[in-house]
Amino acid sequence: MTDRDIGADPPDEYVEAEIQRLLVEDPAVAEQGITVVRRERALVLYGEVESPHRREEILRRVSERFPDVPITSDIGVIGAQAPTEIEQLP
Amino acid sequence: MVIRLAAVGDVHLDEDVVGRFRPALEELPECADVLLLAGDLTRHGTEAEARCVAEEFGGLAVPVVTVLGNHDHQCDQVPQVVKVLEDAGITVLEGNGVVLDCAGGRLGIAGVKGFGGGFAGRCASDFGEPEMKAFVRTTTDSADRLGAALRSLDCDMLVALTHYSPVPDTLVGEPLEIYPFLGSYQLGQAIDSAPTALAVHGHAHAGTERGTTPGGVRVRNVAHPVIKQAYSVFHVGDQLDTDQVSPIGQSGSQRSWS
Repeated sequence: MTDRDIGADPPDEYVEAEIQRLLVEDPAVAEQGITVVRRERALVLYGEVESPHRREEILRRVSERFPDVPITSDIGVIGAQAPTEIEQLP
Repeated sequence: MVIRLAAVGDVHLDEDVVGRFRPALEELPECADVLLLAGDLTRHGTEAEARCVAEEFGGLAVPVVTVLGNHDHQCDQVPQVVKVLEDAGITVLEGNGVVLDCAGGRLGIAGVKGFGGGFAGRCASDFGEPEMKAFVRTTTDSADRLGAALRSLDCDMLVALTHYSPVPDTLVGEPLEIYPFLGSYQLGQAIDSAPTALAVHGHAHAGTERGTTPGGVRVRNVAHPVIKQAYSVFHVGDQLDTDQVSPIGQSGSQRSWS
């Protein structure tokens, strides 16, 4: 991304809203737990999903639908290991 | 009397994640008498996804009890989803309960999906357009069925299982604006109408683990993105070793079985 790109087509609230809805309503994504945050230079996607495939699919679908919007992803994959602690509740 | 519970919600199973939970699930008998699933077992609520849930959570050495979540309703295949789960030996609760004989006593679990609506002072009201009244009545009906189920169980320890949250405490981390879509105070009121020992829910992926109802019942958000492990384990009872009891503010005590 160059300086000239910044602000040329700034992400606005409607784009943010559309992406949020796409993340939930697109059957290929169906994620309610991804947060879209508008930063100065890009829209950032935060959250956690169950597999690397789902993370890639989110980026693919959003980029496909909004090719001109700079998107940064900070999406993690949730661990599924056995717990190492118990909580004791008297 | 100590009853050992494991719980997780929002596992959103589909073919791409089958097998991820299984190694941890095989360890369940060492630490828990029962596994509770707090809804959103699938991504879209299809019969095919339910078969993935059955494969992952069926045939375990401990009983599995679940409620459905909003995702499990997406494709309008709830009867098929329930049948697949029940055929796999998983007990599906919706406005009813089950009593399990555990080593530490009789555990009663009442469950309902629940619904949104918001929390005291900042909630939707049964007033105005038919759509709004239908929304609030869905919440109220759900909470009423949970309360009735809790009060009907004859057991030594009572646990409430929901998908939506009964308290705002466990939503901290979520945007305030969406709290009314994440739970309702009526669920908390239902939980407080019975001698409930613990309430477990999911749905709030960005929430926090711990809370209490206005009546003092402990609430735990076990959504998978919140607990970040295959399941959480709770040992509930009045005969616990006090050295092992986790003080408030800490995440828990080291598991004693490893």
